[in-house]
Amino acid sequence: MRVFVVVLLLATALISVPVASATPDELIDFQALIDDAAPGSVIVLESGRYAGGVTIDKPLTVLGRDWPIIDSEGRGTVIKVTAPDVTIEGLIIRGSGASLDREDTGIAVDAPRVTIRGNRLEEVLFGIFLRKASNSVIADNIVGAKEVFIANRGDGIRLWESEQTLVEGNLVIGGRDTVFWFSEDIIVRGNEITGGRYGLHFMYSDDAVIENNILSRNSVGAFMMYSSGVILRGNILAENFGPSGYGLGLKDMDQVTIEGNRFIGNRVGMYLDNSPYDHNDYQYVTGNLFAYNKTGVLMQPAVKRNVFSRNAFIENAAHVGIASSGKFSGNEWSIDGVGNYWSDFAGYDAGGDGIGDVSYRVDDLYNTLTDAHPHLRFFQDTPAAKMIALAAEMFPIFRPLPLVEDDFPLINRPPMKSFHGGDGGSLNVALLLISTLMIAGAGMAVLIPSRRRRSYPNKEAIT
Amino acid sequence: MTAAQIETVTERLQPSLVGVIAGKEIRDAVASKWFWMWTVAFAGLAAFMAAAALPGSQVAGFGSFGRTAASLVALSQIIIPLMGLTLGAYSIAGQRESGALRFLLSHPISRSEAFIGTYLGLAVALGATVFGGFGVAGVITVAQGGGADASSFVRIALLSWLLAISMLGFGMLISTFTRRGNAALGVSIFVWLVFAFLGDLGVMATSVATKLPMWGLLVSAVLNPVEAFRLASLTAFSGSLDVLGPAGRYAVDTFGDQLGWILFTVATVWAVIPTLAAWARFSSGGDV
Repeated sequence: MRVFVVVLLLATALISVPVASATPDELIDFQALIDDAAPGSVIVLESGRYAGGVTIDKPLTVLGRDWPIIDSEGRGTVIKVTAPDVTIEGLIIRGSGASLDREDTGIAVDAPRVTIRGNRLEEVLFGIFLRKASNSVIADNIVGAKEVFIANRGDGIRLWESEQTLVEGNLVIGGRDTVFWFSEDIIVRGNEITGGRYGLHFMYSDDAVIENNILSRNSVGAFMMYSSGVILRGNILAENFGPSGYGLGLKDMDQVTIEGNRFIGNRVGMYLDNSPYDHNDYQYVTGNLFAYNKTGVLMQPAVKRNVFSRNAFIENAAHVGIASSGKFSGNEWSIDGVGNYWSDFAGYDAGGDGIGDVSYRVDDLYNTLTDAHPHLRFFQDTPAAKMIALAAEMFPIFRPLPLVEDDFPLINRPPMKSFHGGDGGSLNVALLLISTLMIAGAGMAVLIPSRRRRSYPNKEAIT
Repeated sequence: MTAAQIETVTERLQPSLVGVIAGKEIRDAVASKWFWMWTVAFAGLAAFMAAAALPGSQVAGFGSFGRTAASLVALSQIIIPLMGLTLGAYSIAGQRESGALRFLLSHPISRSEAFIGTYLGLAVALGATVFGGFGVAGVITVAQGGGADASSFVRIALLSWLLAISMLGFGMLISTFTRRGNAALGVSIFVWLVFAFLGDLGVMATSVATKLPMWGLLVSAVLNPVEAFRLASLTAFSGSLDVLGPAGRYAVDTFGDQLGWILFTVATVWAVIPTLAAWARFSSGGDV
């Protein structure tokens, strides 16, 4: 922060800032300022409204002070960057066009080593679009999308052939995807992406590190395709509930590490399709939490060589499911005698070593049925569905092959940080009031007629 | 019912008499072991479910009320129909068997007054059980620091009561067809089995065997009043049915925001029809 202030002071000392002489309605000519600036200099924009639709074609640093607004009033791209080593910081960027064909964008970059930091993008179609912009930094921006139907929205952040780029601490609200194409060695860290279609979408982007992001209430949290060497660590994938509704989906992925993530309240916590892709590769899923999902882990029947250990499966409607009918085998549910925690494990641990003495099996006939006939999920949680599961347990002839056989189930839940305490912490006064009223009403309904009996008006008349 | 009969029915409906009979019915309920057994069972199970569903939610602070609500709906689906059906079935048949009905109707009380009074009294008694149970569950949820949307909680409680009086209507309809209390109870338990278990199993089996289209699945599901209640409740607390896989998604896509109201209407129709049928049959005469 101190460095930032020094830079700012230095900048104001060095550069003459044109005072806004225009009337409030009139936009200040930002392009003229760019054209006048020498390459490598710093432009400080004071608060005010500047015309968008500009092109930065030389190395420049643009710093906003007190949130100047760059507005292109619903036309085209707001800021185009065609030169390397450009920094854009502290601006409000507003009102791009709405054409998906022209890819109208808040900040569109076609050159490497660009830094986009601490800006607010509002009502833009695409937010930040990097093309062949390697070694760039996109950090601490807030990207808000145009309020249009999801298919007509653009991507909040999109990288195309932009290697070794850092995407950190951004908040992306709405929009379509935050998507990375052909961009190797990128780091995506500490972002929050919410209300979009695909929170994170990876296509052919190897060796990425994705950690500590929050991907919530998107149609799909993160979907990764055709990439290898990706590390997913410490992310929260919550309440992604679109038609497919995966917290995390992997298709044709290799050498992915999935560690310490929390999959909570999604339609499907994690979906695996042909991952690992390589026949010699094993995929390790360790120390994750799968809680309150409709299905914790959903796998295509042909998926093999996944190894699960030290994960906690808590209160998912189904912990593990297969996505279509087929013979399902070849995955492992423990490493070196350490399995996973299953909230419905009914075994015991006589030895006291924290490992259950009997295997944990998933062989619920109802879930097997819904895997084969998805529309039967309509009867989820009904007494009839429970009855089917119970019947299969009592009559082993109906018992399906187990989906999961964990020979070393954990007795205690592995320690995990908790989060999202906001809802649970405060006392719910409204509910308490209403519950008390319900009890009081119920009591009065039965007690008042009983009391009236003693002063029954016609009692004398009857006797 | 002919027009003349309707006229006599409306002519001889004195609210005060209806109230007296309803009050007597409530007092009888409060004095009976059945009522307290149901109340304690429902409130106890609801409390247990609220208590069991919540500690897990402290893991992440997520899904806290969703699970309580889902278990309350499942509980309502089993216990409330049994409660409503048996209470309703025993009401008229039991009084007929013991001669109480004959005694009642020997007073200047019309059959409609007797029917409506009995119905209202039992409906209030059932309401006390349902709201009492939900209230206890709500207090336990709050005591454990659970976050719940109070308005959807109220909606589920109201829908449960709607289910209770719908089943009461079915029970009283059974009651008007039987002369003995125990026979009525037997029939009502069979009907309960159909509503709570066999109906769903039948629709599941049919849909797999005949590749039932989605709309067919929906329609055959809500032909079961308990199922209509379940869908209405799910819509009330999750705002949609898309948790129920492709068929639920289809319902959401087809009816959109109207889905909640449509399901509520279906559930209401299931409360009104059996009651009107029972009323018509009872007041159209016959032996007491």
